[in-house]
Amino acid sequence: MTPSPDVLCRHCLLPLGRRGFVRTVNGESCQFCCYGCCIAHQVKSGSGDASEAAWFLVRFGVGSFLSMNIMMFSLLVYSGAFTGSDRRVLPTIHLLLWGLATPAVLVLGEPFLRETWSQARRGHLSSSALIVIGSLAAYIYSTLAVFRLGGYLYFDTATMVLLLFTLGRYLEAAGRARASRDLAPLLAAESESATVVEGGEERRRSVREVRAGMLIRVRPGERIPVDGVIVEGCSHIDDSVISGESRQIAKTVGGPVLAGSINLDGPLLIRSSGSGDESRWAQICRSVREALRQPSRTQRIADRLVGAFVPVVLALAGLTLAYWAHRVPFGQAMLAALSVLVVACPCAVGLAAPMAHSLGIGQLARHGCLVRSPGALEALAVTRLIAFDKTGTLTSGSPHLVDLARDGVGEHEVLARAAGLERHSEHGLARAIVLAARARGLDPIATEDVRVVPGRGLRGVVDGELVAAGSAAFMHELGWQLSPALVERADVMATSGHSVVFIGWSEKARAGCARAALSFDDTPLPEARATIAALRALGIRVMLLTGDHAGAAERVAATVGVDDWQAGLPPDAKRVALDQCRPRHGAVAMVGDGLNDGPGLAWADVGIAVGSATDLARETADLVLPRGGLWLLPWVVDRARAVRSSILANLAWAFGYNLLALSFATLGLLQPILAAAVMAGSSLLVVLNSLRLERLPGPSYPSTLQSSAAARGASEPGPREPAERTRQRLEIPHTWGESSPRPET
Amino acid sequence: MSYYALLFIAGIAGSFHCIGMCGGFACALGGDPRGPSATAVRHALYNIGRLTTYCFLGGLAGGLGWAIYTCLGTRSQLGAPVLSESLEAVQRGLAVIAGLLMIVMALQFFGVRGARRVTTGFGGSTLATALRSLLGRRGHAAPLAFGVLNGFLPCPLVYAMVAQAASTVDVLSGCLTMVAFGLGTFPTMLLMGGLGRLLAPRWRQHGVRLAGSFILVLGLVTLGRGIVPITAHGLHHIWHFA
Repeated sequence: MTPSPDVLCRHCLLPLGRRGFVRTVNGESCQFCCYGCCIAHQVKSGSGDASEAAWFLVRFGVGSFLSMNIMMFSLLVYSGAFTGSDRRVLPTIHLLLWGLATPAVLVLGEPFLRETWSQARRGHLSSSALIVIGSLAAYIYSTLAVFRLGGYLYFDTATMVLLLFTLGRYLEAAGRARASRDLAPLLAAESESATVVEGGEERRRSVREVRAGMLIRVRPGERIPVDGVIVEGCSHIDDSVISGESRQIAKTVGGPVLAGSINLDGPLLIRSSGSGDESRWAQICRSVREALRQPSRTQRIADRLVGAFVPVVLALAGLTLAYWAHRVPFGQAMLAALSVLVVACPCAVGLAAPMAHSLGIGQLARHGCLVRSPGALEALAVTRLIAFDKTGTLTSGSPHLVDLARDGVGEHEVLARAAGLERHSEHGLARAIVLAARARGLDPIATEDVRVVPGRGLRGVVDGELVAAGSAAFMHELGWQLSPALVERADVMATSGHSVVFIGWSEKARAGCARAALSFDDTPLPEARATIAALRALGIRVMLLTGDHAGAAERVAATVGVDDWQAGLPPDAKRVALDQCRPRHGAVAMVGDGLNDGPGLAWADVGIAVGSATDLARETADLVLPRGGLWLLPWVVDRARAVRSSILANLAWAFGYNLLALSFATLGLLQPILAAAVMAGSSLLVVLNSLRLERLPGPSYPSTLQSSAAARGASEPGPREPAERTRQRLEIPHTWGESSPRPET
Repeated sequence: MSYYALLFIAGIAGSFHCIGMCGGFACALGGDPRGPSATAVRHALYNIGRLTTYCFLGGLAGGLGWAIYTCLGTRSQLGAPVLSESLEAVQRGLAVIAGLLMIVMALQFFGVRGARRVTTGFGGSTLATALRSLLGRRGHAAPLAFGVLNGFLPCPLVYAMVAQAASTVDVLSGCLTMVAFGLGTFPTMLLMGGLGRLLAPRWRQHGVRLAGSFILVLGLVTLGRGIVPITAHGLHHIWHFA
């Protein structure tokens, strides 16, 4: 990659020259004249989301400035630079050290002092109390030594200890900021889109781009993306997500609507009353950040242990002081006690879990997997049973047209009319019809006045003639005839486990009749089998819990290789089924799309939503996999285990190290400065051990599927493409199929 | 004394390299809205922070060299002659490292590509990302912190000087080595802070080549010091000569 000579450096705006090179910064290719400009540009162009980390970094930097000076002079003193004739400058050097240490202790110690104080007022002793007591004792002792002109100085110990702890805090904050930075692009993709009407043209736009005053088109069945006021159309609105009450409210022009509620029937035009940024996107962001900030279960246990540890250490330090004070000069006894305090500071313990945890969350986030609850990763690591929902999880969830029975009309006419009607709906079957028409190159016939008849189907008007699609009962209600041949064909379709939709229309003002029956099937995802095999290889039992009838469940279970399945379960029964598994398998996870397994997802120890098809799933799931991301699951489990083992190793190491060092310190064998070095080593090892997580391999798409996926991508433009995938299936409870219930509704 | 003067000059010459590396930072640190004097303070703090880090690294390296030397010395347990021999061995080893680093970096100045990867791949961007948050902050703490941390950024010239400092086998001399070098980088860096954008690219190219030649010579001399067995007296002679 040799850049052209006339281009200017991205950072300093000077010509590139011969040494110029190209680097990708924030996903953008930039040219720089030199390495320095490249780094400076990276430094400058980053987002400012890390203010907490930056704050600790400023403290750390200023603290290092002071402590490095202290250490330098201390080193000079230790190395004997001020012996002999230079000895008289020693008191001045000591004063200088004191002058440097005082601000250092103030700058570095302030956060710990504040924390200790606020905890102490609530009657707790936090681990920062050890840091504060240890470093203040060293500082005060040394200060006394300076002014009484005797004894050793331990300013370097005091500031070094504080500096290391500040570094720990910075690493924690930076890890969190890093993880949330990883999330930003993901959340942007995750955020919903809205149909914005501008100058008579409709355009899909991210909700975040919606500003107050924009016109938004909301089709029946869609979730309303932003708060606003209806300017055209009338419909029933379900705002149970917001109000918590499940009821339908009729709204018409001038009525206010809230983001998150569902438009049940009738298209609406809405004038946005605020930025879309305020609603869902912000919520997801917040919940993920929350997950990052909250301590995980292990960390809480560790913290509690540390809490119990603190008084013990304080007592131990007191005892050490008392014991040695009888045997050696007080200064030395004090040193032993100091060593105890310094070496017992559980800084590595405090770092052990958050570091691994944040890195794990960030890494998952980079591949589109959102961790929403702090304990999810650790719970997933110990999970031995994963229950799967069928529709939309193991199957594509977007049914496709498999058969078409006609009664005296052409196939193309049937599809063109059906598509004209169904493109006004977001129902899975409707999408299948539209896609089938598009695949055959048919133009949908323009249909007006389209209405959803809940539980029945759709009706609309073409050139003054009624056209309708839906169940046989719907046809009967319209007073339309079904020919015996058509009914017979439809029965065959239904018994083989397919969903059936009838379509009919009236002609020349006479009563219409049903003219065709369309059957749909939902196929297992190509990656389902490989995913389940991979989970098995990880020692996880897999089972299928579905609301669908046994025939369909058995077929899918056999195809994907699950031998344990339960069918015909309504949402609440899935909860019971999970409960039954718990005594045998311990923690259980449930994977679903949240459409009708919300209770199951919420009830399982780890609820995993795939594709976040519905908002309910987002709210109840602990972990959200990206759309079409089922194949990521084994990797996620593997990663969760890596995070957990890394946390455990960190904790074992940190505690073990501290306890060992503590016993040495109690025996007076460890100088405070050595104790600080020991602690630094401990923290560093914990950090390095956690960073190993970064080097683990990313997920790899099952290789057997890659070629077939490529072939499919070429031949079948549509259903499997993520963007084309059903964004949001209709949440309205309505059954269309005739004899076979719509899978899992 | 001339030894430190030489290092000071090395700092000045080397700081043409800094235009590439740290000059970017000095530019990025930018001005202070409260006026030129506040800007001057900002840049002075940044440079003092940098100098402190260098100085600390020098002291540490000197101490380390001293520790290695004492270790070898006590292990041999054979009295003074061996002691001075091991001292010389340590000094020579470190001088070889310092010399090689300088030569590698001088080659970089002349655009030898492979060299860049060797010297700048040590996690520089991780630290740089951490520094990102400090640049935009106002107040006097941030530039100081920035300078201190900037000092730790991977820079072959600094590595070379640290190796040089280690070869002095004394904390104080190690410190002074780095101070002399650090002070040498001051003029250019302060200039960069103020006039960074005004420097003509042609002048820069010349500067880079001048610095490259100087550091190449310095590296060869240092390397020679390590390889050619000479007495301490001869060593001083060479330094005076250089």
